[in-house]
Amino acid sequence: MLGNEALVRGCLEAGVSYVSQYPGTPTSDIGEYFHQVLRENPSLNEYLVHQWAVNEAVATSSCAGAAWTGVRTFNPMKHVGLNVASDALSVIALNGPNPGAMVIGVGSDPGSLGSHQEQNERFYSWMLHLPTIEPHTPQECKDWVKLAFDISEKYDLVINIRTSTRSAHSRGYVELEPLKKGKKKGEFIRNIPKFNSLPPHAINNHVRLYERIERLREAIPELGLNKIFPGNNKIGIITSGTPFGYTMEALNQLQLYDVPILKLGMIYPLNYQEITNFIQDLEKIIIIEELEPFLEVKISEIAQIKRLNVEIVGSEYFPKYNEFSTGLVATTLIKIFHKKPNEQLTKALDYFDSYKEIIPSRFPTFCAGCPERATLYSILKATNHLENTVVCGDIGCYVMSFFPPQQCSDLIICMSGGLSAAIGMSTKTDQNVLAMIGDSTFFHTGLSPLAEAIGYNSNILLIIFDNAWTAMTGHQNDVLRYLIEKDFSIEKVCNALGVPWLRVEDSYNPQKLTKSIEEALNAKGLKVIIIKRECGLQAHRYRMQQIRRIESQGKKVQEEVYHITGCQMCHECSRILSCPAIRRVEINGYETMQIDDDRCIRCGVCYQICPNGAIHKSTLNLLGEEVPFQH
Amino acid sequence: MKFKETDIINIVIAGTAGQGVITLKRLIEFAAQKSGIERIFGSEMHGLAQREGAITSHTRYQKKKFKDERKNLQSSLICYADADLFICLEPVEALRRGIFASQKTTFVLNEYDIPGVMITADLEAYPPLDKIVEILKEYSNNVHTINATKICFNSFNSNLLVNIFMLGYAIPTGKLPFIEVEHYEEVIIEWLRNPETNIKALHLGIDEGKKKSESNF
Repeated sequence: MLGNEALVRGCLEAGVSYVSQYPGTPTSDIGEYFHQVLRENPSLNEYLVHQWAVNEAVATSSCAGAAWTGVRTFNPMKHVGLNVASDALSVIALNGPNPGAMVIGVGSDPGSLGSHQEQNERFYSWMLHLPTIEPHTPQECKDWVKLAFDISEKYDLVINIRTSTRSAHSRGYVELEPLKKGKKKGEFIRNIPKFNSLPPHAINNHVRLYERIERLREAIPELGLNKIFPGNNKIGIITSGTPFGYTMEALNQLQLYDVPILKLGMIYPLNYQEITNFIQDLEKIIIIEELEPFLEVKISEIAQIKRLNVEIVGSEYFPKYNEFSTGLVATTLIKIFHKKPNEQLTKALDYFDSYKEIIPSRFPTFCAGCPERATLYSILKATNHLENTVVCGDIGCYVMSFFPPQQCSDLIICMSGGLSAAIGMSTKTDQNVLAMIGDSTFFHTGLSPLAEAIGYNSNILLIIFDNAWTAMTGHQNDVLRYLIEKDFSIEKVCNALGVPWLRVEDSYNPQKLTKSIEEALNAKGLKVIIIKRECGLQAHRYRMQQIRRIESQGKKVQEEVYHITGCQMCHECSRILSCPAIRRVEINGYETMQIDDDRCIRCGVCYQICPNGAIHKSTLNLLGEEVPFQH
Repeated sequence: MKFKETDIINIVIAGTAGQGVITLKRLIEFAAQKSGIERIFGSEMHGLAQREGAITSHTRYQKKKFKDERKNLQSSLICYADADLFICLEPVEALRRGIFASQKTTFVLNEYDIPGVMITADLEAYPPLDKIVEILKEYSNNVHTINATKICFNSFNSNLLVNIFMLGYAIPTGKLPFIEVEHYEEVIIEWLRNPETNIKALHLGIDEGKKKSESNF
């Protein structure tokens, strides 16, 4: 099982009753596994509800609401999701999840492998008093999330089971235990002091929170989460989660088998006696943890309180950014233990350094036929390559706009941060200020800044990508899809709010869109252009399904095919549109562009923009059945 | 080289989004499970699945565990310079993951390149295949290249089988020890669409690999 699959299994074994989350790497697939379980076992729907929330704060409060009826709730989120959820969580943690239980599953992302930023959200554990468990293997993910529910219920605390991109997406064996059905229904029982953390109850709940966390602190050794690997060396190591694996393998490589190791399963709170017992006879403690020193600070605090004479090191040797690896831990331990560098390793690393310059970049980019890519093309054309123009980017697939060759995003803050930044920026510059936002982000937190921009009639052109999917996280069947079923439209929302200048455009019609952007930039005040075009990937999948169905009935399908002849190598399609379905090849000694038939989804944008008319369209099977692109 | 049952086997699978890197990784892991391998631990990269990015996964297994946990497979990621086998579905991706290679690494490489957008835009250069092979040969002599995409296209009219073909091509190198071909077949039957074609692709790969091994593996 994958770590995330194991988390879901653990929840099901613990009898979880309600799950709510907003998708985000590395936690999106948790919801997908829940949906799969519910799809395959429809009878479970009575006992377990999974909801895709519009944002993390909503998800967290929804989970608290369900927990307060006396059921077990699970709330996964990515590390930056915790920033959004923290407002709600700060109060929920004070109040406590009882009579039910609440576990949050935070997916951290050292190395920013699937996120727009890197942060150590472990400090929230301290700030909000969220006992935090860090599993390392899928087995631990499964076992410990189950335990987390028991702890949450017993101590009236919100528990954080913190994975990382690596532990969430690592696969290993998991021994299963029987499943348990969640509660069908609970009941909310009125308790004004507990659930109204306002003065005077706020202070009382804060006092109560300390009592609860101290009771848990005392009980930690009995939980079986922390483990000691004994050894006679006077230098010891304290670590947890994913870095534990790197540490063990690094020590194995260096043949340092006598180093005592304390593997913490629970990184907050810490049991003073347990830590003291481990460190008191050692001369030096190495803390191996990714990102900012958290354990280092907390363990130094214990050493200080207990007046222990032991040297505690970590962040002076290890980087406070990026993810670790066995190689990094090994090379750092070589320094601390004064070992001789491994020659084979050094040689291989030096050799890699000697040639890595020639490796061409391969960053993620928009799919072939992406309507967002086509929109960027029109923005570049309408603004003469962003002359006197600022583009405020945002989170979604269009986060990739900043990559070359299009380089069409000047800044990224957070979900809906682009539009918010544009509001302030537009008061202080006469440059064109553009902001971009996708439909899922629009509902996440975009409605509020839009209302503000309307209120002040900010001089901004806002582009809303209405592609009908939360595409970046993998097209979950989320609340957006339910809204679409209910015939909702962003256009109606904008009209109801009173957007003064509004157009709905299709980026597959680049000339018209470019003209609209030009007009918008010549108008004063707030302008909104909604790009109404389904995510190309989903539209193509759907279309191919239709085609396979028709062909399996022995019928023919009418098909448009694009090909290039007489290419002048002007690079309009490769540098300004930069569609990955177009390849540069050499035929008979001449360079030309070529359309990769396999990857082209027939959006037709390149055909419309080629300044030399070198991209041609032909229709095959003219008499065959037409399969329209949109659904 | 003969592996001991307690050895940790390290496989890097590198390619680009959509080439089936993660499918291939899971297939090896599921087959390893069927073969009764005691510990399997590997890492896959999610989230950029359809976006043309570079994708790598680490597959690791250990047939028999030591009693002492300190000597066992403990991390889902391979250490620098510690890969036994590189399965590269795209040539330049082998170089990108070069940090995991050393003299003990065997490379199997699909010759068919997938240029990124910067190459198409002529803003960056793609190193010639000969140059890539030359760089890899500095690590070890065990560099085996084949145009898997072309073969799969000619044989099956599809490039979706390149990952399975390359697995087959890697098997005769002996760098996937303790897993039997039958176990791959079982997993393919249970888990993949069009199992017959996939098994054909696997065996076509094995045959091509054996041809190579007769000459220079």
